[in-house]
Amino acid sequence: MLTTIVQAVVNGLLIGGIYALVSIGVTLIFGVVKIVNFAQGEFVMIGMYISYFLAARFGVDPLISLFVSMPLLFVIGVLLQHFLIRRVLALGDMPQIFLTFALSLLLVNMALLLFTADYRTVQTPYSETAIHLGGLYVPIAKLIAFAVAMMLSGLLGVFLRITDLGKAMRAAAQSRDVAMLMGINPDRVFGIAVGVALALAGAAGSLLMPFYPVYPLVGQVFVLMAFVAVVLGTLGNVTGALLASLMMGVAESLGIQFVGADSGLIVVFAMLLLTLAIRPKGLFGGWSR
Amino acid sequence: MEATRTASFAERYGRRDFLKKSASAAVAAFGIARKAFAAERVNIGALYPTTGSFAQIGQGCVNAAKLAVQMINNDGGIKSLGGAKLNLIVSDVQSDTTVTRTETDRLISGYKLSAIHGCFASALTLIASEVAERAKMPLLTGSSSDLLNKGRHYTFTPFCRASQFALAQLQMSKLVSDTPKVAVIFENTAFGTSTSNGLREQAPNQGVEIVMFEPYSAGLTDASPLINKVKASGANMLFPVSYLNDLILIIRAIKQNGLEIAINGGSGGFVIPDFYKNVGGVAEGLLGVAHWNHDFDGDSQKVNEVYKNQYGEFLFEYAGGLVAQTFMIADALERAASADPQKVRDALSTLDVSSGYAAMGPGGRVKFGPDGKNIYAHPVGVQWQHADLASVFPKEDARAQLMKS
Repeated sequence: MLTTIVQAVVNGLLIGGIYALVSIGVTLIFGVVKIVNFAQGEFVMIGMYISYFLAARFGVDPLISLFVSMPLLFVIGVLLQHFLIRRVLALGDMPQIFLTFALSLLLVNMALLLFTADYRTVQTPYSETAIHLGGLYVPIAKLIAFAVAMMLSGLLGVFLRITDLGKAMRAAAQSRDVAMLMGINPDRVFGIAVGVALALAGAAGSLLMPFYPVYPLVGQVFVLMAFVAVVLGTLGNVTGALLASLMMGVAESLGIQFVGADSGLIVVFAMLLLTLAIRPKGLFGGWSR
Repeated sequence: MEATRTASFAERYGRRDFLKKSASAAVAAFGIARKAFAAERVNIGALYPTTGSFAQIGQGCVNAAKLAVQMINNDGGIKSLGGAKLNLIVSDVQSDTTVTRTETDRLISGYKLSAIHGCFASALTLIASEVAERAKMPLLTGSSSDLLNKGRHYTFTPFCRASQFALAQLQMSKLVSDTPKVAVIFENTAFGTSTSNGLREQAPNQGVEIVMFEPYSAGLTDASPLINKVKASGANMLFPVSYLNDLILIIRAIKQNGLEIAINGGSGGFVIPDFYKNVGGVAEGLLGVAHWNHDFDGDSQKVNEVYKNQYGEFLFEYAGGLVAQTFMIADALERAASADPQKVRDALSTLDVSSGYAAMGPGGRVKFGPDGKNIYAHPVGVQWQHADLASVFPKEDARAQLMKS
């Protein structure tokens, strides 16, 4: 029994690491640029396709293609901010929602057109292997994904706290007007924030590829969890999103184990509603980073 | 001996007789030659979704139907109709029920058809069959829906029925263990619940114990918790009733877990070349059920080779079954000596073949009962082996050793 519980927690934590990469991206964009990016899942999908094609055509390991997908998506993010998001920032909520939502639809349908609805997988030597410890097992692909996800989140945390650019980002998040008065160039800061967020989505894609099939709608699977994590962990709070993602992964896994395989999400959403009822600003409300 | 034969020859063929006969033979020969030159073509309707969500299988069906027609025509067409050639009229039903209704209507009223085959997908076939029934047009189909055998006189189903699939799947679990303990995990959709209920109802009669029966929400992010449960159930056989993306996660989670369990994924999307293309090496050793498989006999292997050369993938169940169906129609036309749909229907109802391309399927014989069901049809248990689908069950249909996964 104990083994089963520990195994469920391990499973939850591992998938929670992936949720974290997606939700940190969403919360970063929201925190800094004050826009909800509904297309975040689609950038995960793009990251996955990049890794898939590099693996299928050139035999590149998905973990190595991390070094392609992350910079590429960073650039896409900077361009996205410069050419699209920047134009709607002054227009209020509705045009912003329409923009990212339309982007999501556009990307999904373009992927359907270019890559068809087929499911594609990458086979790596570690795709199906696991470390066995007593009665427990830890799949290697997921362990690597989790470790890299934690490392990237840590790096982001350090970046936000130590570097000037990171501090500028946090300043812009707290008050855009005051930040501008202090001589911070918001366009540059916003561009980098969106770039970093998309690079994280790309990382999530590459890390998923060894154990998850890619198809045009794959982003939607993860973005739902990411949005719940973002709200649960307080909008705009990077550490909050990280912790909430891990909690949700564990809650989902325990829910499947002990309530029913079709009830995993029920546990997650019950947790969300309960949190919103008690702490309307999310678990980590009050201090926004 | 020699004497009697000569005598009887003389008796039977007098000179006058001889003249008369040779004259009529000449007329007949000339007649046939003239007829062959101007022989009317026999129109066969083909209703398949070549666009939309079912397009992949639909296109394969059309390819196979064309191949079969070509084979029959190259072999001299329908001899009793003066060597009339078959003419395939393909209509795209677009994976859509409304389009299927209008297209079936249009095909029947627009062309002088002798028979129709289509549409493989049950939802579409049920509608096409209704329309054909009203127009008194014989329809052959590879669809496995049991509803097609209720109150219809013009619909013929040469292959096993959906209800037989569940049974075969349960029986196959005996291949793996004498005391099968089965875990059924199914997505909580109409497809998942109906299929899994069929399995659960028939399990006790087959001596199969179901130790876990668990719905899950389709679109898994992680299958490990689910597989954790399967492991705890102590099952030695797993029936996942899932679509492809969940299935991939389930199979991988099992491999990672190191769980020793056989997997039977059932029929449909599980036994087509696309499945292997999408899933890759993890598919090796997986079990499934089909209504037709290409390794059945010399004839089916021959067609498979031709098809494979032309289209780059093996002849899957619907496509292969369609080649057989085309030969059944040809056989009926031959015996009816008429292109009239009513006469073709009557000839189909008395069809009884046990050799050749028409009979190249599980059961090895085609004879329709009053409900249009081939009384000899049964499913074949298959296994993915080396990127190909091998028949492994039942014993008389097994063409390869069961691979232990």
